[in-house]
This record gives sequence, structure tokens and C-alpha cells, in this order.
Amino acid sequence: METGNGKATPLGSSERYKAGVLKYAEMGYWNPDYEPGDTDVLALFRITPQDGVDPIEAAAAVAGESSTATWTVVWTDRLTAADSYRAKAYKVEPVPGSPDQHFAYIAYDLALFEPGSIANLSASIIGNVFGFKPLKALRLEDMRFPAAYVKTFDGPPTGIVVERERLDKFGRPLLGATTKPKLGLSGRNYGRVVYEALKGGLDFTKDDENINSQPFMHWRDRFLFCMEAVNRASAATGEVKGHYLNVTAATMEDMYERAEFARDLGSVVVMIDLVIGYTAIQSMSKWARRNDMILHLHRAGHGTYTRQKAHGISFRVISKWMRLAGVDHIHAGTVVGKLEGDPDMVQGFYNVLREPHNPVDLQRGIHFEQDWAGLRKVMPVASGGIHAGQMHQLLHYLGDDVVLQFGGGTIGHPMGIQAGATANRVALESMVLARNEGRDLWAEGPDILADAARDCSPLKAALDTWGEVTFDYTSTDTSDYVPTPTPA
Amino acid sequence: MTGGAPPADRPLDLAAALAESGVDELLATLDAELVGLAPVKRRIREIAALLLVEKLRLQVGLSAGPPSLHMSFTGNPGTGKTTIALRMAEILHRLRYVRKGHLVAVTRDDLVGQFIGHTAPRTKEVVKRAMGGVLFIDEAYFLYRPENERDYGQEAMEILLQVMENDRDDLVVILAGYKDRMDRFFASNPGMSSRIAHHVDFPDYGQDELYAIAGLMLEKMQYRLSDDARTALGEYIERRRARPSFANARSIRNALDRARLRHADRLFGAAGEPLSREALMTIEASDIRASRVFSEAAATAEESTP
Amino acid sequence: MRLTQGTFSFLPDLSDDQISNQIEYCLENGWAVSVEYTDDPHPRNTYWEMFGNPMFDLRDAAGVMKEVSAARTTFPNHYIKVNAFDATRGVESLRLSFIVNRPDPEPGFGLVRQEVDGRAIRYTIRAYATDQPEGERYQ
Repeated sequence: METGNGKATPLGSSERYKAGVLKYAEMGYWNPDYEPGDTDVLALFRITPQDGVDPIEAAAAVAGESSTATWTVVWTDRLTAADSYRAKAYKVEPVPGSPDQHFAYIAYDLALFEPGSIANLSASIIGNVFGFKPLKALRLEDMRFPAAYVKTFDGPPTGIVVERERLDKFGRPLLGATTKPKLGLSGRNYGRVVYEALKGGLDFTKDDENINSQPFMHWRDRFLFCMEAVNRASAATGEVKGHYLNVTAATMEDMYERAEFARDLGSVVVMIDLVIGYTAIQSMSKWARRNDMILHLHRAGHGTYTRQKAHGISFRVISKWMRLAGVDHIHAGTVVGKLEGDPDMVQGFYNVLREPHNPVDLQRGIHFEQDWAGLRKVMPVASGGIHAGQMHQLLHYLGDDVVLQFGGGTIGHPMGIQAGATANRVALESMVLARNEGRDLWAEGPDILADAARDCSPLKAALDTWGEVTFDYTSTDTSDYVPTPTPA
Repeated sequence: MTGGAPPADRPLDLAAALAESGVDELLATLDAELVGLAPVKRRIREIAALLLVEKLRLQVGLSAGPPSLHMSFTGNPGTGKTTIALRMAEILHRLRYVRKGHLVAVTRDDLVGQFIGHTAPRTKEVVKRAMGGVLFIDEAYFLYRPENERDYGQEAMEILLQVMENDRDDLVVILAGYKDRMDRFFASNPGMSSRIAHHVDFPDYGQDELYAIAGLMLEKMQYRLSDDARTALGEYIERRRARPSFANARSIRNALDRARLRHADRLFGAAGEPLSREALMTIEASDIRASRVFSEAAATAEESTP
Repeated sequence: MRLTQGTFSFLPDLSDDQISNQIEYCLENGWAVSVEYTDDPHPRNTYWEMFGNPMFDLRDAAGVMKEVSAARTTFPNHYIKVNAFDATRGVESLRLSFIVNRPDPEPGFGLVRQEVDGRAIRYTIRAYATDQPEGERYQ
């Protein structure tokens, strides 16, 4: 009954169900001959076994603890079709360049999951197993959902295409900014920032993740002042404008109340934080679908479990879950800004959110082919430490279907907030114009910006202020297959 | 073309310009792949030379304005008008006379509508699709029906005339058809005639040329003729040319297609014997001599079935 | 006031060469290009008048430019925009849309506020131009 050779000897049923403790591999959670079916849910874990623990046994343990197993044999298994309910680790391979880590591929029968429930899916896959003692560390790297399962989710209430049609904005990334300072502004002053930024040329402004209903600004007040600003800016420009009104609150009842008020005031978008939980997110998604509302998700808190490469959940998986759960916007990294984000990894997240179908793309961390079965596309949001001087890099890395959020890069402009917004919009439009003309953004980007700045003093001032600012730190969550430096 | 112009006394290298344009390459393929058509090829060469020289003249500050290149291709069916039009589009593209180099081939039905108000949008749509390339109008004389003064073709003609005059930079129009009918068409449409800079006549192919064409076609299709079949093909061509429905290269193509059918049928009839690669390739005299051209008097009308 | 709908409204008005380059980009991508005009540029006015059907299967921008210039001749004081439509499955929507003609001056919009319960306000955006009947707005 050696397991290290990759072959677990199947036990006879009398031996298999004798009371006592068996290795997980022997209990049927390791099956190297298993060929995943079209309707199986697949998961890829990065496992770091404790010293002396066989990686195959560790993989089998993960399969067991994330499906039917407990630590000891139970005879009640025999009252079920246990063989099909058991998750199967079907492949274990060493992680390139990391001798103590292995990739474990595990297949789950579709019947193990409740239709359309991220809570149930996540409780199954990450419910127990991450504290399992024989493992030093465990990370959920990627998942594949069969079309049959994808179809049980409603997905994004609006999606990229319909969002653009509602906003009447095509052919370029959208522009946003988070109101700063994050905390302390009164509703009246807060709305001023919104108005200036939108009138200056941004499409959206945004509440920050922790703007809810604090003593300095209650939510109703914020909503009223912000919508005055949005409508004034819309009249001044003839464009549809929006402010992500954060409806995150202590209870669903509070969130519904806030969302309904936002709707009644004519807002096109509301916002929630990831920390409200998967069930609340799905509830808000249903609400947004009923009310023709764009649903913006701030990924507040994700860094606690997505950032470290050895343990936690890859943001790629969170992205897939959120596309299923149904949000329209999600913060997914900038590549060039102040927050963590290796270019390959970030592009992988974007592809998962935006493409109708993902082929296997190891360099970008995508280990499974995924057919999204017509599920709408999520608009990624790039936010955190980006400025107009990086416009060519942002367009190059992130493409058109993205919201570029310049908070400090708008509000901190030396000539004022409107000028900051105008600088960003002019930089963006001139870059898109040049790209469409066939110019090489990577090589000519700074020249294109400098040319555009000749007709636009706000852009000139922005480039003079931030042109040299970069956040050049090594990423922690990087590709296992191609070493790529974080670009300046 | 200003500022950087070389001094007028510096000799310009026509050969180098030709090589650089890549046109000589195209002309060479034209020679290799298209049998005969000597006057047509000569005319194409002249047009290419004109455009090249015009480019060089521009470099030294001489300009007569871009030449008009609308053409008429006249000749019997199967004399290579469409093929040459395709090559012409490529050549004009290499010489940057047209920007894209595609060919849009249409007939009256594509341009002229059935109802009032139908024709102008149709014609304009075709013209817009052809912009950047060549608009090839086959049997152009059908556009004009002098016996019916309410014919909508007149509307299409007017739009074409306007486009040929005003949008010369954007497209080249080639009108094609039988020589006699085109002559009559031009005679009754002096406006159209005056906008056509090049009249190119496609002569019928001679016996030897048709035989060579057949050889090229067979080579492309990876067939060969047995010795007897060669003789038979020669005789076939002679008889076929004498028939009224003769359509030059197109008739040869059809004859070869029918010979392939008979070849396949013959192999099928002999099923059971092992087939060699040789047998799969070789057309025999019987595959050709089964044609009605041999069995009927040369004077009978249209040969419709094998 | 400058109406900033469309992809390039924050740049100086595009020259015909620049417009032509953008159309070339659209055609290279296989998008169908169309021309639309309006004298009611309300942000929610989705349906501008079509200046002819979308143009499919064009190879060169010159065909579209002809339509642009015909639209400008017919409606010199209207807003005119060029749209590019992508029929790819999963998109089936516009991929680019930019203004190529605008009235001078542009009167812009007023904001009408109706005060309702609990300090809430219902907003209506109204184009000053639409005080005049259609066709008589930008003289």
C-alpha cells in the first residue's frame, strides 16, 4: 500500500470500510487514472506538505477534506454512492522552481454543489481544508467550472457591453476617481469633489470602501449631494455620468434601503465591498438586475488571502467566483500602480473577467480551459497609484474594457480637480487616437503625451508633477512559468 | 515631395525604381502564367511604366497630376478579362495608385434596382465597397438601354460618371464586354467614352495558345495527358473553336473538367484492378474523344452535355 | 459649452485625415461603419438619425468619408458622429463612436430640479436647443 509511486492499490470493500484510520489516498481520494468529465468542477491547489508528508497523500487529503472525507472511516459512506461523491486528486506535479511545493489537480462531481451558490461552492472547496495540519500551506490557484454549472448563475447584471450602451461610451477605457481624502469630508464638500472631477472629464467618481455612514457624513446626505454633482456635471457636458454610491452596510436591510434610495435619485451605479460576503453580493446582484443598476465591487480585504503565493486563494479564483456571483465592476489590479500586481497575473485576472472563453495560459496563471457559456463580462477596474503619465502603459497592458481610476492623480493636480480630470481624459483620448492610427504606444507613448500636452496645459502640469513617479517593487504573486519583472 | 527633392541634374534610376516597386515581379508572373495576350501585356507594361515615371517626375518637382486609369476591356468570353483585371488591381496597388488593391466585380443587377429610388443607393454602395481598389463592371453595355428611356440604368450611369470624374484617387473603373457591343455603347455614351483612358482589346486565343493554356491548367490540377490524348486534345481544340459557342479559355476549362469526369468514370468501371499513381494522373485519348464535339457535325449548335 | 460625448471630444476637432485614419482602423477590424446626425444631443438620446444604413464590407475609408462630407453638406449645423459596429459574438455593439461635426455655438443643457419628499430631488436634463422645433435648432 505504498502511495509514493503514484499508484494507490484499490482496497476490497471489507478492508476499505473496516473501522479505523486509513490514508486518504487509500480511501479513494487519489486516482491517477481518473479522467475528469465535462461536467466535473476542477480545482488546482498549490500544496506545501509538512516535512515527511508524501505530496500524493497530501493531495488526496485535500480532495478528501474538501469533499466527503473525515479523519476516520465511517460506515455511513456505504449508504451513499460514495465513489462518485468522493473528490479525486488525479494529478500531482512539482511546481517549477519551488521544490517544496506541488500542484494538486482535483475533480469534483457536479452533484456536490448547490446550483447558483457561491457560498456553497466556497464552503466546499475552501471550507475546512486550509487549516489542515499535515500541510504547511495551501493555496487555491485556479478552478474550472463546467458550462452546466456556469449556467446556474445569473452572472453580471449589466456586463461590459450593456454598460457601454447605457453610458453611451465606446472605444476607450472609462475614467474614474475615488474621492479623497477617504474620510472626514462633509457631504457638501464631498459632492464638490465629485462635481469637479466629473465636469473635468471623468466618467465616474467613487466612494471608497470604508465610506459608509459615519458621523462626519451620513449616507443619505452623501447620496443627495453626490447626485446633485452627477446631474450638474451631466448637464454641463452632455454625457452620462455616475458616482459609485457605496451601499455597504451592517445588514441586508440597510443595504437594500440605501440601494433603493440611490435608484430613486437616478444613479446608474451602486457599489458594494467584498467584505459583505458572497451571499450578500449575490443578493445585491439580483437587486441590481431587477433595477437596471451597474454593480461595482471593491475588493476590500482580498489582500489578506490573495497576496501570498504559498497560502490562500489566488485572485484569479476570486475573479471567477465574482463573475459567477454577478458583479459588473471589480478592482483587479493596475500592473503599474502602487498595489501588488505582476503584469502576467493581472492580465490573467482581466482575461478571466472579460473573455467569453479562456484557453489554458500558464504564463498568466490560467491552468484550465474555461468556457463562460455566454455569461456577461465583468469590467475590471484599475485603481491605486496611477497617473496620466502612465497612460500608454495602462492602455498597452489593460486594453479598452477597463475603468482607469485616478484618485490622487485627479484630485492632487496642482491646477485643481477639473484640470486633473481633463489631463487624464486628454491623455487617454490622445493615446487611443494614436494607437488606432497604428503608432507603437510602448515606444512612442511619452512623445504622444508630450504632443498632447502642448495643446493642454492641465496635462502638461500633470506630466511635470508625476511624470517620473513609479512604484517599482517586486511582486509576491508571480507566474511560476515565466519570470517577469514588474515594469516601472 | 517638397524639400527632399534631389537636384534636377542627378540621374534617376528607373530600373531601381522598378525593382523597388516589386512590379517587375508581377509582370514576370503575368508572362509565365498567362498564355498569349501579347497586346494586353504590352499595355499593362506601358501603364506600369507611366505610373513609375510619374512618380520619378514628382520627385524632381514635375507633375501632370495623377493620370486617369479607367479602362475598358473588350474581347470575347474566356479571353482573360477578369483575370487581367485582378492582376491590374494588384499592380496598381504595388504602384500605390490604389490604396487597397481589391477587385469588386459586378454586373448590371448589382447596380441597378427594380424600383424608383432603389438604384442610387445600390450603385453608391457598390462604389463605396470598391473604393481603394478596382470596380470591374462586366457586360457594361447592359447598363444603358436606349430603347427604354425610363430605364433605371441611366441613374447608375450618371453616378458612375460622377465618381469616375471626381473620385479618381479613390478607385479605378474597368468596363468589360464584347468588343462590338462596347463600341456601340461608347458611341452612344460620349461622356463615358471620354472618361476611359485605356481601351484594351483581348484577342481570341490561337490553336497553339489554347493548347498551352490546357497544359497549364492540367499542371495546376496535377493531371497529365497520354501521348494519344495529346493528339486528341489538339483535334478537340480545333473542332471546338469552330463551334459558335466557343468561349476561349473557359471552353478549355470546361472540356478538361468533363475529361476528368470521364477519367474517373473509366477508373471506376475498371474497379478491382490495383490503381497506380500514374493511372490516377493520366487522362487518355478516350476521355477526350468521347466528347460530342467529335461525334456531331461541327456545325451543330450549343453543346450542353458531354 | 462643448458636448463631450464620443471617443475623442476632449481633443481638438479631428482633421479629415485623422477621421479617415480612425475609419481605416475600424475597417481593418472588420467593423461596419455608419454616420448619424441629430439636433437633439441629450445624453439619453440613443437614436440619432441614420445618414444611410451602416456600411458593410468596405475596404477603404474613402467610401465613409464621402458619406461624412455629404452629411456635413446636408446638415452643416447638426451634430454628426461616426459609429463602428462589431458583429462579433459577445460584443454585437458599437466599438467606436466619435463626433465629426458640431453646431457653432453649442447651447448646451439646463438642469431642471423638482423638489420631492425628504430633500430628494428629481432631475431632468433639457437641451436648450430643443425649445425650437426639429430642424430649426442650430441656425
